[in-house]
Amino acid sequence: MKEKNGARKRRLWRGLTTVSTSLFTLVLAASLIIGSFRTDIDKFLGTQSTRIVTDESRDAGDLYSYKSDYTSTAELLEAVEALGERMSEEGTVLLKNNGALPLSENETRKISLLGFSSYYPVQGGDMGSSLTENTGTDADTVDMVEAFTAKGFEINPSIQTMYENLKESYKSTVSSWGGTSDYYRAVAPSTTGYFTSMEPSQESLYGMDEDWKESMKDYNVMIVTIARVAGENRNYMPGTEGVDPEQNLNQTDPLGLSDTERDIINAAVAAKESNNGKVIVLLNNASAMEIDEIKNNEGVDAILEAGLPGGYGFYGVADILTGDVNPSGRLADTYAVVNANSPAAQNYGNYEYTNADSEYSINSALVEAESIYTGYKYYETRYADCVLGQGNASDTAGSSISGAWSYENEVSYPFGYGLSYTTFSQTLDSLEVDLDSGTVTASVTVTNTGNAAGKDVVELYVSLPYTEYDKENLVEKSSIQLLDYEKTDIIEPGKSVTVAVTADAQNMASWDSTCANAAGTKGNYILDEGTYYFTIGNGSHEAVNNVLAAQGKTAADGMTEEGNHENVKTWSLNSFDATTFAYTENGTAVENQLEDADLNYYMPDTVTYLSRSNWKETWPKTYKDLTATDEMLDVLRNDIVQIKEQGDPSSVTFGADNGLTLADLKGVTDIEDSRWMSLLDQITLEECMIRTGFGGTSTKAIESIVSPETIQNDGPNGIYSYPLGQYANTDTSSGDPCAVDENGKNLSYKFGTMCNETVIAQTFSKEMAAAYGTLVGNYSLWSNLTILWGAGVNLHRVPYNARNHEYYSEDAVLTAYQAAEYIAAGRKYGCIIAPKHLAFNDTEINRSGISVFMTEQKARENELRGMRASIEDAGALGVMTTFNRIGCTAGNAHYGLLKNILRGEWGFKGLISEDFITDAIYAVLKEAVHCGVTMTCNTGENDMAAVSEKWSYWTVENVSRDAVMMQDLKNCMLWQNYALANSNALDGYNETTRIVDVRTWYDNMLTALQIIFAILSLGAIAMYFKSAGMKKKE
Amino acid sequence: MEFLKKQAAGFYLALITLIFAIVSIVFYLINCSTSYFQSYGVNGGLIALTVIAIILCIALIIGSELLGSNIYLDILPVITGVCLVIALVTFISIRVDSIASIITFQNNEQTMSDLTSAIVGIGGCLMAVIFNIIASFFRIVKE
Repeated sequence: MKEKNGARKRRLWRGLTTVSTSLFTLVLAASLIIGSFRTDIDKFLGTQSTRIVTDESRDAGDLYSYKSDYTSTAELLEAVEALGERMSEEGTVLLKNNGALPLSENETRKISLLGFSSYYPVQGGDMGSSLTENTGTDADTVDMVEAFTAKGFEINPSIQTMYENLKESYKSTVSSWGGTSDYYRAVAPSTTGYFTSMEPSQESLYGMDEDWKESMKDYNVMIVTIARVAGENRNYMPGTEGVDPEQNLNQTDPLGLSDTERDIINAAVAAKESNNGKVIVLLNNASAMEIDEIKNNEGVDAILEAGLPGGYGFYGVADILTGDVNPSGRLADTYAVVNANSPAAQNYGNYEYTNADSEYSINSALVEAESIYTGYKYYETRYADCVLGQGNASDTAGSSISGAWSYENEVSYPFGYGLSYTTFSQTLDSLEVDLDSGTVTASVTVTNTGNAAGKDVVELYVSLPYTEYDKENLVEKSSIQLLDYEKTDIIEPGKSVTVAVTADAQNMASWDSTCANAAGTKGNYILDEGTYYFTIGNGSHEAVNNVLAAQGKTAADGMTEEGNHENVKTWSLNSFDATTFAYTENGTAVENQLEDADLNYYMPDTVTYLSRSNWKETWPKTYKDLTATDEMLDVLRNDIVQIKEQGDPSSVTFGADNGLTLADLKGVTDIEDSRWMSLLDQITLEECMIRTGFGGTSTKAIESIVSPETIQNDGPNGIYSYPLGQYANTDTSSGDPCAVDENGKNLSYKFGTMCNETVIAQTFSKEMAAAYGTLVGNYSLWSNLTILWGAGVNLHRVPYNARNHEYYSEDAVLTAYQAAEYIAAGRKYGCIIAPKHLAFNDTEINRSGISVFMTEQKARENELRGMRASIEDAGALGVMTTFNRIGCTAGNAHYGLLKNILRGEWGFKGLISEDFITDAIYAVLKEAVHCGVTMTCNTGENDMAAVSEKWSYWTVENVSRDAVMMQDLKNCMLWQNYALANSNALDGYNETTRIVDVRTWYDNMLTALQIIFAILSLGAIAMYFKSAGMKKKE
Repeated sequence: MEFLKKQAAGFYLALITLIFAIVSIVFYLINCSTSYFQSYGVNGGLIALTVIAIILCIALIIGSELLGSNIYLDILPVITGVCLVIALVTFISIRVDSIASIITFQNNEQTMSDLTSAIVGIGGCLMAVIFNIIASFFRIVKE
């Protein structure tokens, strides 16, 4: 028995030794690797591992360069809420109204909300620009019911209860590893999934409440909400392929209606017959839906396009419904009858290379064979050509019916269209083109001819000559394109205002890849000789009709309606012009930079791009099953730049002792200032290599120049990555005017509450875009969050990209100016609002590695035009690159785009981050640094071993023999720190500032655990030996 | 039958530890060959530590069968635990960035499928750690 006890004791102490040593090893190993993840751990836990120490008595007046407009977080959040409401007031588009709107006060007490999305609306993306719900703050978010109720609406309680009792039937389960997430609203399909309609059937509704229709007698203002969700890494596949095959709801497209959606609209229409009420359809979507049947449904009195309105936008929608605010929004996209019939949609899907190779992220190819003709540029140009009888435009190719193509069968509502509760007349009084100053100046008189006060939008369009030269050289011309726009202030009935529009004339220049240029090569912006037609209109279709009228066309020629030729001004250019825009604003000669984005560059004569010279013969085929050639594979394998012995490494200085800190260059905007070079000479090669490799979710501190860690945040619906208080200055004794009370109730607020970008575009208001930038700038000061990847400037190439909610529009000019105003306003407060993604992130399918092919004309006149103003006009100090490839070249390795266009032609001087690419090969670090990308999005320990482990070529020994790469590294650090020095990241910094490491509570906890488990291990070992000795003795 | 009658709880627990350790290394290697992770390479340290743990586990079982509850064998589960814990921490640290990326920005069927083997491998390693600890409290063979 004694022997047994001894053995048991020995095993007990052996077990306890195993436990304690295992736990000791665990905490020891965790302590050793924690440095690699310290930044993200700190962000997750809200801790800080470094502290900034500044002698504030020195230069106290200049310590905080940027000033907030608000005195407290309460004021700040009130402004957030107010702008959220205002943005939807101005960005909600009235598409149809037979007089049903606005509602009377009495009618607002008779509201029946129909459709499950009325109760479970889509207010942000599934992922990316998701709504952050806030409670207990000064700006709590609200859904539709809460907002409408707060505005005094009375909502049919029977129907509300019926829908709420059906909640479980709307549940969508989204798979994620290790489990699933449940949503009680519509969800967007994954990139390989399909759309499932969650709208309950009539049977379900009756099953819950058989008298629900009766209840609408007393609540006869019926608002039916139809929703489609958006999301990063989400996608709608065109046509029936994108619809749940297990549903049999007569749905031909994920963006079209299902039978259950039709049924609820028709139920409202039928109820109206007996209750003499009103039927209003509210569209809750970011991707343009197919709504022709709603438009043509005479029982539907009004349609409102509300977008994804964020946390406060439904207040604004309520104001529109009541007429407290007159709608003034305009569509940012064309609403087509059948989205899948656009030329761009012919190449939208998952087209894998036959020789795909995941090792190098070689997956699929997307050939954008539609050339420049996306959105209205396609529909209106083809329409104009039908009227003009040119280019086989009336052919059946792309027709939504079996016969010839006609506009009426293809477009429900055109780009730029929107109604008001009043009527306006606009006259184009004068127009002047001044190529010397590069401007087009228009004067437009806007008169309110109706009975309600309201705002109107002046949309200035141009129609360019399409010449024989263009046809010969494959230069495409849209029959109409937006040149600029302005929104009026409120105009009282009977009153007029004169609006001056000064447009950038370069936006009417065309890229000609064959034209000689000032650089002595090919590729140039041109203006053809001929007549230029300028006009105004409520949308692109009215504008093109005006132009056609000026060209002598009438309804008898096939126009949908007569145009107004009096609102057209012409300007003639007598000779072909290839000089006016041959140089950019900073004097750089333009030339082809993206020839390799054209698949024909690698595989000649493979792609036929759509041309208005012959719509029939050039109608895009679907390019799939492509096999990358050896030449393509050489590029696709992501090894373009070699680190080698070149130049004189000693000519590149590192580690000098010049006695400067970044604070000495605070606010120095001249990047040629010699102090910049002196400062950068202090930085070490190791610091450059680590910081470019590990940009992660913040730009890390650089000790040699006292450059601070600067937190990066995602957007675009606000600065939502961290709560307001996580990085806020809680030291109210400091001189920081934005210091906060550490117990303030607003510190938990998360600013993912603004509407989606499409609504901001729909405001057609630069003032509103700027107001958002001002708000974000202020928020940045209070939250100490400087960098926001917040301006999505990719275009809506097709509605099927479910990430369209993070981008403004299908149009480059609308995108350009909404983004530029936003960014410029944020800069005034030292916030770096960065446009993304450079460039052509046109699909989420296989986005990390997909080859996107297009002509250089398309690239420059569409997406790049949408970003250029952000750099040239707004002076953006940050840019995010893209997941996809430019042709075969990784987006972070394309020298022509990143170095020659972005930094060369546009003069960009700021920081650039990669998107979230963690694959070391596809992150192309050496190529990215060579192209001026200042950081990848990877994280790791602050030492060379860690970065070299990720990229084996990234060693000091290797890089230090390559003077070119060393200079590239210094350039990157210059641009990165230049951006920070001209931002609010240096608020509170002066030349005395030092970065001090501090121990966090988890550091202390790990140390304590190490000690505890070490003692326990030793104790257990001792006891083991004691018991073992006892056993032996026995 | 006689062999099984002779085995104590520690035998089965050590066997489960061994199986989980093998599962962990097998799924790690599978994971290293998936589309997403193949460019990340194979971590030699993780392999070595897991192999050592497996060998020690086998040695404990065989040694106990041959020598009974020999005092010199008692060190084996302790070392096995240390090896498995380091392997586990290594496994997590080399995959955590990718897990974060896949469950957020790069979530699709392919990446989720590729991720599964990593999660199974990590889970296997964690279970091996736990069962090794439990096994260390029990004898392998009945005296």
